[in-house]
Amino acid sequence: MKKMIALGFEGSANKIGVGVVTLDGTILSNPRHTYITPPGHGFLPRETAQHHLQHVLPLIKAALKTAEITPDDIDCLCYTKGPGMGAPLQVSAIVVRVLSQLWKKPIVAVNHCVAHIEMGRIVTGADDPVVLYVSGGNTQVIAYSEGRYRIFGETIDIAVGNCLDRFARVLTLSNDPSPGYNIEQLAKKGEQFIDLPYVVKGMDVSFSGILSFIEATAEEKLKNNECTPADLCYSLQETLFAMLVEITERAMAHCDTKDVLIVGGVGCNERLQEMMRIMCSERGGKLFATDDRYCIDNGAMIAYTGLLAYAHGASTPLEESTFTQRFRTDEVEAIWRIKEESSKVNGVEDASG
Amino acid sequence: MAIAPNAWEFICDLEVDFGSEENASIVYATIAVDKELQPDKVKRQMSVSDGKLSVHFEAVEARFLRASYSAFVDVLILATKTIEEFGKGMEL
Repeated sequence: MKKMIALGFEGSANKIGVGVVTLDGTILSNPRHTYITPPGHGFLPRETAQHHLQHVLPLIKAALKTAEITPDDIDCLCYTKGPGMGAPLQVSAIVVRVLSQLWKKPIVAVNHCVAHIEMGRIVTGADDPVVLYVSGGNTQVIAYSEGRYRIFGETIDIAVGNCLDRFARVLTLSNDPSPGYNIEQLAKKGEQFIDLPYVVKGMDVSFSGILSFIEATAEEKLKNNECTPADLCYSLQETLFAMLVEITERAMAHCDTKDVLIVGGVGCNERLQEMMRIMCSERGGKLFATDDRYCIDNGAMIAYTGLLAYAHGASTPLEESTFTQRFRTDEVEAIWRIKEESSKVNGVEDASG
Repeated sequence: MAIAPNAWEFICDLEVDFGSEENASIVYATIAVDKELQPDKVKRQMSVSDGKLSVHFEAVEARFLRASYSAFVDVLILATKTIEEFGKGMEL
C-alpha cells in the first residue's frame, strides 16, 4: 500500500518552514528560513509576515523537489492554526487554502504546541513522557491524560525563551542563528554566579520580574566591572532552568511518570538538557530531547501531526481553515492517542488471554 | 476614493481581473475565510463575476481603511502568486 504523505506549513513566529513526511514519521524534506533581525532588536508581526511572504513559495518548491514527490502524491495539506503571531500565521493559512483548491486536497489545521510534542515523541521514541515545552513564545509542562494534552504548569507572564531573547538584546548579542544559542555559548564562559530572583508559584513560573531585575543589574554591574556578560548569561540560565526542572519534577510526581521529553526552541539548550537529565536519573527515569533540527519550529512537525489527525478521520473544511493567536494545547482532542491507548489495553488483554 | 455623507465615509473599491472564473473564485474563497478584524470600523464586501474579483471597503476613519486595504493587498498578491506558481502547468 502507498504510504500516506502530508505537506505541512509552519509560520507562527520568525521561521517559515515547509515539510514533507509520511505517517511513520519519516521526514522526506524539511526546508525552512529564519527571519533574523539586527542585534538589539526583536521581530515584529508585520515585518515577519513580509519575510514569510517572500520565502514561502520557493520553500514549497524546495520541499517537493527534495522529497521527490509531486502534488498528486500528497494526501493532505497541514498548517499551523495557532498559537502565534497573527500576520505570520496568515501566510501559511492563505497558501494552504489556495493549494487545497488547486490540487483538490483536504486541509488539516494543527496546534503548534501539540505538533512539537508529537514530533518529539516520534523522533525520540518517548511513549508517554511528561513534556516540557519551552520556546520563545511558550513555556508549559504538559502530560497526556484522557484524550488531551493537559497543561500541568506554565508561565504566568512571558515565555522562558522570550526572557533569554530579550536579555540577549540588552547585551546586543547576535540574533544569528538565535539569541538563545549565543547566550548559551557565552554562559559556558561564566565563572561567578549572581543571585537572581527565583519565581516558582506552585506549578507555575514567572519570568518577567527576573528579566527586569537582571536588566537593571546588568547595567549597574557591567559599568562597575563587578561581573562579565558571561557571568550574567550563566546566572540567568542556571536560575531559569532550575525553575523549569522544579516544576517538571513536580508534574512527574503528580503523574507518576519517570520520563521527560523536552521540546521547543529552548529545548536545544544543552545546559537545560543536562540539568533535566540529572533530575530524571535521580528518579530512575530518562530524558528525551532532540537537536535543533526538530526542536526549532519546522514544517515537518506540522505535517506529521496533521497527518496523524487525518489518518484518524479529522480534516478542516476550507471555510473553517482560520488562524488564531490564542490556541491552548488542551483545546485539541488528541484522537490518534485515544486509539493508541485503546490498542495498548487490547494488547495487554491479548497477552494475558 | 469617494466620500459619502454617513459614518462609513471612507470608501475604496478594487477590481482585479484574473481572466479566469476559476482562479478568481479560488482567491475569493481563500480570502473570504478571514473576516475583518474590526467589523465596527471596517467593512469589506467581495464578489466574483466574469473572472473578476471586486472588493468594496468602507471604513469610519482613513487609517482603518489604509490598514485593512494594505493587509488585503498583501494577501491578494500571495494568493495570486501561489496560483501562478502551483496552478495548471506547474513545473517543479
